[in-house]
Amino acid sequence: MAAKSDDEVARTRLEELRLDSNRIQELSDEELYTSDSNADYEDLGPAIPSEADNIVYVNRMMPIFDDLQTETSRAQQQTLDKILPYLEGNPSNFPLNSFGIPKLQREKHVKFLIQGLGDKPAAYTTLDAARPWQVYWCLAGLTVLGHDISDYQQKIIDTLTDVQHPEGGYGGGFGHLPHLAPTYAAILSLAMAGSSAAYESINRRTLWHYLGRMKQADGGFTMAVGGEEDIRGAFCVLVALSLLNLPLDLPPDAPARAQGMTTFLDKLDEWISRCQTYEGGISASPGCEAHGAYTFCGLGCLAIMGPPRETMNKYLDMPALIRWLSYRQGAPEGGYAGRTNKLVDGCYSHWIGGCWPLVEAAVDKNLWNRSALGRYILSAAQDEKGGLRDKPGMRPDAYHTCYNLAGLSAAQHNYKFDEKMTGDVGKGSFGAPFHWKGDGLFEGDKVWDEEDVVEEVHPVFVIPFEAAMACREYFEAKDGF
Amino acid sequence: MTKFYHDDPAWADIEPIPQDDTGHPLVAIAYTAEYSEAMGYLRAVMARNEHSERVLALTEHVIGINPAHYTVWLYRARTLEHLSIPPSDELRWLNPIALSHLKNYQIWNHRQAIVDRRDSCEGEADFIAQMLDQDAKNYHVWSYRQWMVERFGLWRDVGEVAFAEEMIGRDVRNNSAWNHRFFVLFGGRKKGQAGEGEEEGKEEEEKEKEKELVQREIEYAKQAIRQAPQSQSAWDYLRAVLRHAHLPISTIAGFANEYNDVSPPRSLHALEAQLEIYAEQNKVDEARSTLEALAEFDPVRKPYWTYRQKELVVA
Repeated sequence: MAAKSDDEVARTRLEELRLDSNRIQELSDEELYTSDSNADYEDLGPAIPSEADNIVYVNRMMPIFDDLQTETSRAQQQTLDKILPYLEGNPSNFPLNSFGIPKLQREKHVKFLIQGLGDKPAAYTTLDAARPWQVYWCLAGLTVLGHDISDYQQKIIDTLTDVQHPEGGYGGGFGHLPHLAPTYAAILSLAMAGSSAAYESINRRTLWHYLGRMKQADGGFTMAVGGEEDIRGAFCVLVALSLLNLPLDLPPDAPARAQGMTTFLDKLDEWISRCQTYEGGISASPGCEAHGAYTFCGLGCLAIMGPPRETMNKYLDMPALIRWLSYRQGAPEGGYAGRTNKLVDGCYSHWIGGCWPLVEAAVDKNLWNRSALGRYILSAAQDEKGGLRDKPGMRPDAYHTCYNLAGLSAAQHNYKFDEKMTGDVGKGSFGAPFHWKGDGLFEGDKVWDEEDVVEEVHPVFVIPFEAAMACREYFEAKDGF
Repeated sequence: MTKFYHDDPAWADIEPIPQDDTGHPLVAIAYTAEYSEAMGYLRAVMARNEHSERVLALTEHVIGINPAHYTVWLYRARTLEHLSIPPSDELRWLNPIALSHLKNYQIWNHRQAIVDRRDSCEGEADFIAQMLDQDAKNYHVWSYRQWMVERFGLWRDVGEVAFAEEMIGRDVRNNSAWNHRFFVLFGGRKKGQAGEGEEEGKEEEEKEKEKELVQREIEYAKQAIRQAPQSQSAWDYLRAVLRHAHLPISTIAGFANEYNDVSPPRSLHALEAQLEIYAEQNKVDEARSTLEALAEFDPVRKPYWTYRQKELVVA
């Protein structure tokens, strides 16, 4: 049958797209839709009271449109057409909470993420260079949902030890070259596994040497030897140095020493400043376009380099940054887009949503619309079969599940940075991230009930607080490597 | 199409290194026999640090199955250098791959290394344009173009400005194109770059030219705003040009007002500009009521507009 084969072609195309780990790394929104069951919300019946409220809300949130049609406005209109039914009604037939919004489908998402850690068919070969990422997204997502992951401890250690490179750092798979992206994912996963066996499985000495080889003469870091230099590199390096309590000094064999550099931080502050664009957001490297994921990486760096109030105000134009972040929130969607004039995408619930706790610690509270983001995540991003997605019409995956949930957490919780940096953990270099505390639930305008509330997430490391604290504490108590 | 190595005499000297997992790992992929074997041979040649023609073919094979495999790209780059393969040969091989994998990260880093070695960007602008025809906001492709501008000193290059203009002409909301325009025109000037040792007259001439450029860009942004007054890209560009030239926001007071004389305004960004003009002139009451209007017409950002009230008190 012709119709069926068309459907299959579309499915294959989607499968390719979904499985392409470049897409995962690319962190971009994608305009490709396909026919899947989520789009079949034909007969919705008469509006129920909560639905009527939602329609009023959506109409109130409608932005001012101008008339000119371009590729951008057409893509935006198509996206809106896909999303609106989910904001106004309940095409997935989820049970609703007391705000008339779909409840968090906790059990379904847990099941989806557990499957994400399991065996994959050959079609997943494009994920082969990103297996530690998949492990991280699933584990982080599970912990945000409050699911106990201790059963996975040994498997996490075994899986990641197999991809640790003898010369330091982690690769995407067995025998792959080391790279900062899998290194970042592996270290955070091992911190979540949380035991001396997990911590000791990390070869910190070779890792420190490896990280040193990434340092560049202009202050930034490459993602691999011979790889691209961008702000992810800086963030991945600082996360590793901070969580594992590694030395501030560059190792003696770091090539950047030939250019007179002595520490990991040399010229980095200045380099990060250069990544802030005329729009106010932060780009991959100086001169590129401001982008949500790179902005989170940049703010994450500054939050590791010192107290956010000091570092961010010193190296960034904060009013411009706040303005840019604010404008990324879509109306009426409520979710975030990664760049100006791009489409809303659930992963930016974290990449932009997760910037707010960092910014609020540096500037002021109550800067953003948490309930609008919560609405997007609960109403539009939850897939009826479990997992969360970019937007309606797209399939869920571990990446979007993790970052939608992390964004939901950012919306639901308050955090506080202890400016005096007191406490037992977090002395010494890169110690600032260990002076954050949960500061209770957000009690302002919201659209979630208690049972829709997810766990707190460490604003810099995006893993549970206890996991980050215990890991650092372990290595602070340890002498040498 | 399927290719195996175990029965290929050209590979008889290589003992493949199979994937050696501890127990049953997480996210275990049931690789095809073909991919598994090719990876086994790749690990083996990497272990002996072999860089040869057959390794090049092997990397091509693995890239064909999994183009997101950064290890293969990095090893291929090293092999090319060892074999002194002419950069133009590699580019010819690379072009169709780039066109069929638009979202790939690795290709662009690979291309950058090759073009850097070639020390010429001839033909690159055309190839990039071809890529952007298919995906007009592709972040990697634009970033690559920015690298090219910097590496080959194409600051204020006529072709680069014309290209940005063409892309903006096609879609005035293409923010990547606006970013490129700003980068090409204003990103390269570092303080003292032009000045030293030059005569007075020349410096004056430079200043005059700069003023003309700023004026031209202000007008350019304005005509773009007239087409799509609600698009943020041109407004942000306009604000950035003003800031670059140290001009006050009131420079565009009359222009902003064109979009504010009705309620709701035809452009929220014009209203925001109006807010800043009032703030600049210390008209606190007017600024405050403008903020209220912004919160009314842009309710999703109500917390933000409320936050900006504080800025007024301080001023």
